[in-house]
Amino acid sequence: MPENAIVTNNLTYQYGELVAVDHIGFEVAEQEIFAFLGPNGAGKSTTINMLTGQIKPKEGQATILGMDVADDPNKVQEKIGVCFEITNLYEQLSAKDNLSLFAKLFGVREFDPEALIKRVGLDGRGDDIVETYSKGMKQRLMVARALVNRPDVLFLDEPTEGLDPQSSLAIRNIILEERERGATIFLTTHDMAEADKLSDRVAFIDDGNIAALDTPHNLKQQYGKRVLRAEVSDGDGKLQEREIELDKAETAAEVEQLFEQEQVVTVHTEEATLEDIFIEITGRALD
Amino acid sequence: MNREMLGAVIRKDLRLWFKNRFLAVITIAALFGYAGIYYLLPSQIDETLEIGVFAPAIASALSAPLEEEGVILEQYASEAALKEAVTEGEVPVGVSFPGDLLAALALGERPTVDIYLSADLPQEFSDLYPILVEEWIALMAGTSMPVEFNEEILGPDMAGSLTPTRDRMLPLLAVFVLMVEVLGLASLISEEITTGTIKAILITPLSTEGLFTAKGIFGVGLAFVQVTLLMLVTGGLIKQPILILLILLMGAVMVTGIAFLMASASKDMMSVMWKGMLAMLILAIPAMNVLLPGLTTDWIKIIPSFYLVDAVHQVINFDASWGAVWSNVLILAAFAGVFLALGILALRRQFR
Repeated sequence: MPENAIVTNNLTYQYGELVAVDHIGFEVAEQEIFAFLGPNGAGKSTTINMLTGQIKPKEGQATILGMDVADDPNKVQEKIGVCFEITNLYEQLSAKDNLSLFAKLFGVREFDPEALIKRVGLDGRGDDIVETYSKGMKQRLMVARALVNRPDVLFLDEPTEGLDPQSSLAIRNIILEERERGATIFLTTHDMAEADKLSDRVAFIDDGNIAALDTPHNLKQQYGKRVLRAEVSDGDGKLQEREIELDKAETAAEVEQLFEQEQVVTVHTEEATLEDIFIEITGRALD
Repeated sequence: MNREMLGAVIRKDLRLWFKNRFLAVITIAALFGYAGIYYLLPSQIDETLEIGVFAPAIASALSAPLEEEGVILEQYASEAALKEAVTEGEVPVGVSFPGDLLAALALGERPTVDIYLSADLPQEFSDLYPILVEEWIALMAGTSMPVEFNEEILGPDMAGSLTPTRDRMLPLLAVFVLMVEVLGLASLISEEITTGTIKAILITPLSTEGLFTAKGIFGVGLAFVQVTLLMLVTGGLIKQPILILLILLMGAVMVTGIAFLMASASKDMMSVMWKGMLAMLILAIPAMNVLLPGLTTDWIKIIPSFYLVDAVHQVINFDASWGAVWSNVLILAAFAGVFLALGILALRRQFR
């Protein structure tokens, strides 16, 4: 049974009167990909800031790999990698210089920036100054920087937001490779499809509280409904849509009736998305 | 925090500094420019008093009373030529004596002597010259006031060795070089805060204390090296080099603290620039006081750079030793400590 890489208990943070994170508690197992989903201002970044030792919780506790983050943030920071939501690279320096600087700060003895640059698909551009990079390239470099110390826990804050499909795919592959290597991934994202594909478990955070936490499959089972959607022709060449809810006692009869009585053109099944479930649970959309 | 981490941050800052064209240019330009200004200024002071005269028939009698008084008489062929010389600024003052001056004096008459004063002559000199001419004529006539003058110079006798303007300006140039470093360091740090790179650096094993140590070493080091180079090329380290280096080091610590404060209060380079210019003007006031000593007032001592400027001025231009400037050095060290502490406190809040 894997141990928990991240444990939070009663974790709370306030900005003045505003409670950004409100007594939340969860565990993330080693080698798990855990997605933290929620709209802007829900408390995702504040939670990451507490978990990475950037701010101290006002109440509660967070441990990473058994170490209390508030007690010794530098010790924790040796073991983690963080990819920020906002690009914060030294843009006047080259990619190699950026990575080498962080390798020195992490005390990495034998560091090969070229290999890491190649791994994120930036080979041949390592000596160029970052200012000349596209947004996707910068984001890949941000991910590379988070991997400099081969972290045991990797925090990725909206790693694929606003990226082209190629860059998004490259980053998703790196996340999976890192999990294979043994890292635990803590991911925040707006992209429910991405979270669905990548995550072992997801947590919905809304107004600083965890509204739901489970595997995507279980959440869909619990909150979603599967439907069969068909397009039928009305005889005049016009298409109309029919929807039959699956998993009911009368589903089989309704499907039979559809095929007997209508001229079915297309048919496919559809299951609830995480976005649908988020809306159902919180009563509002992500954006 | 270890040496390798500190070295990495310092090397990174150095590279960013010289990759920023503006900072690179002002650093080099300031050093060469200020050293150039120093060498363009005259290295000696003209301690003589030049007076233009038109004195038909009595030219030889004029100079005798003024011998060894440091007065140079410039003879003109006509009164018109004398007036033109004063107007053109060749001489600050012109005196036109009547040809029969000595004879008239001997007869007990009161001849008229015309004095022409340059328009830009300060009021105190305009008042002084007629008295000087009066005394001069009395000497020529063989009469003088029935008193004995006893002259006593209080303090070192600087006659013949007055401080040249360029050496008076050296403390001002030192302040300017230090302030250039303030502008650079503050804009570098404020950019790191704005872009969030500081945040990335602080989520590594490098502690906040380590970061401040690295920034402090970088800031103090750069300021100290620049101002030391200036002193080296201008000969400012010839007298009491260790004392001067200590004073400059304190100054470098102080401006690094000011740079931290400025970075904490600025959002970008432009914001740093206008705040920096304001600080530069204030810190330059004590140095202006060295250039124009008449401005001396007590309130100037509340400006921290006074103790830097005054100590450098005393040592370079008056051969002052440790005993003469120790109080300045102590007060400067206290200001340096206070500014550094305030700067760290203010900047620390920005790192959160």
